[in-house]
Amino acid sequence: MANIPRFSLFRNDKHFKYSTDVLRKLLSTKKNDVSPKDDISDVPVLNNGKPSKSGRRVYAWGVAETGALGIHTHRLKREMKTLAQFYHHPKRLHFSHLYKVNDIACGYGFTVYSVDPDLEKGQHKVFGSGLNTDSQIGYHAVRAGHPLALLLNPAPINIPLKSIKTRVKGLAAGRAHLLVHTDDGVFSLGNNAYGQCGRPIIENENYSGSRIVHKIVNLPADEIRSVACGQDHSMFITEKGSVYACGWNADGQTGQNNYESNWEPKLVTGDVVGEDIVKLSCAGDCVLALNRKGEVFGWGNSEYGQLCKDSLQLATSKHLLFTRDLGKIIDVAAGGSFCMALNEHGQVFVWGFGILGKGPKAQKSMTPTEIPPILFGRNEFQPDSKVNQVACGLHHFMAVTNKGDLYSWGHNRGGCLGLGHDKDQFFPMKVAVGASVAKVSCGVDHTVVVCSSF
Amino acid sequence: MSNCQTCCQLTLAILKPHITKVPHVFQSVRNCIIDNGFQVVKSTRTTISKHQAAEFYAEHEGRFFYNRLLTFMCSGPSEVYILAREDAIKKWRELMGPTKVYQAVYSAPGTIRAEYGLTDTRNATHGSDSVKSAFREMSVFFPNFNHEEWFQEEEPYFRAGKVGFDKSQFVHYTVKSSQPVA
Repeated sequence: MANIPRFSLFRNDKHFKYSTDVLRKLLSTKKNDVSPKDDISDVPVLNNGKPSKSGRRVYAWGVAETGALGIHTHRLKREMKTLAQFYHHPKRLHFSHLYKVNDIACGYGFTVYSVDPDLEKGQHKVFGSGLNTDSQIGYHAVRAGHPLALLLNPAPINIPLKSIKTRVKGLAAGRAHLLVHTDDGVFSLGNNAYGQCGRPIIENENYSGSRIVHKIVNLPADEIRSVACGQDHSMFITEKGSVYACGWNADGQTGQNNYESNWEPKLVTGDVVGEDIVKLSCAGDCVLALNRKGEVFGWGNSEYGQLCKDSLQLATSKHLLFTRDLGKIIDVAAGGSFCMALNEHGQVFVWGFGILGKGPKAQKSMTPTEIPPILFGRNEFQPDSKVNQVACGLHHFMAVTNKGDLYSWGHNRGGCLGLGHDKDQFFPMKVAVGASVAKVSCGVDHTVVVCSSF
Repeated sequence: MSNCQTCCQLTLAILKPHITKVPHVFQSVRNCIIDNGFQVVKSTRTTISKHQAAEFYAEHEGRFFYNRLLTFMCSGPSEVYILAREDAIKKWRELMGPTKVYQAVYSAPGTIRAEYGLTDTRNATHGSDSVKSAFREMSVFFPNFNHEEWFQEEEPYFRAGKVGFDKSQFVHYTVKSSQPVA
């Protein structure tokens, strides 16, 4: 065995290139002395724990009872009949190793994924799991006439796409409805009690077991760039950057300068008219919009002073002048009672009411205040670390850095912060995700991230 | 099951539309009602009509959230219960927690609204605030329910615990034996 080289765990060691399989072979084949010079391709490779071809991974955590996590392992063998109620740490999804996940969206108790289809298994491009009481993730029935109200594993959703080449460009999920944005237009599924699916409201419509997938036809001719959802309303950005909205408007969420719900997508009125809007964010009923120049606009619910101090509701969009001093904003996130903005230098600003991440209690702050960058990992070991993406749930915050680290803080409903406990977190804390985070999506009580392996 | 030893009080409870759509939340709110010694006198699942909602929330007419509250309550099926218990109104309001969910999650953790409410409007449940309004609210959803008659004829059974529980209908019914209740 004299040929066996010294092994070292240090990265710079010249023998590091041998995989564990090779090492095992080297150490165990006593009869045939294998020298390290042998061709590595001859060595059998085990398939256990093989990473997905794309390197994409999906992690999920939070309330599991709804099936939104797509995980239904039993916590203990003797508890075979009861499902785990929640996971307060990231759990890796097997689903992401079967399909390459491109985009995710979390609603209240459900999650949808857009994937590259596996042509051997079918042509489905959108999958979903979780609550399905309003058919927000399509019609699924094991027996005819008995639609499933809960899906524990991601199941394919039938979207009537024109051809296999039609791309799914984005997803957005509300409380109980889903928008699928494709080359071919925007499709909607689920609850339409306020017209959030972009079709006429039918009184006393039964959404459970509904097979309706509606293609929204009342949108303007120029193409849609992206879609976004609040709890009960839908919003669309066109290629030119104008914003259309439909659904519940009792707080002015669809910006129509009135408080009547509208099922037909209509242009949002006010200061956003003529602006090139690039991003919309809404977790509840308060909407933030960002234009290409880095200016922030808002409309909808403002009961906690998020948008303006003198009014509880804004029925028409307004340029938020108090954000002008924050530099060029590159990302915004609106939660239920608070807002967050990120500027080009990676500085994170928060305002509104809740656990804002600035001290050991829930507080109200009317002016945007910065959260110190050191809390997001900018220290002497990684001075170039900066936040490049922010997201909000109804009661919690998330931020992703350019190093692929995820930070979370706020109210920890059902363990949705992923910090390994179910207590509230009062300042940003790094979530132990075992990969580099690319996109985060926050539901009401669960969180899903798409990652690439380190 | 705990019985009402002293006189029962009635209150009206509503599980709002976003609760009835989430099975595990719906079940735990129902469990919460039973575990806290409430007895269900009447129970119905209904999609509240505009007319009913306007009558129900007449006191809020003119407030800025009136339209919001009405459209929300009419957006899907709700469950409406008449609950009986000693000091029912106060106890049910304690279990529900403060109206505003965004504040309740910090100020009253563990209450129904803090656990299952989503926003200040989508705040999970409703409960009567006084005896007078309880009777008024009952007449909106149960026009045939006569509370005076109930107190005379059924209340002694509920107080003595001579009731059975119909799980599927989620309602208690009196078990009338041949012997009169003392």
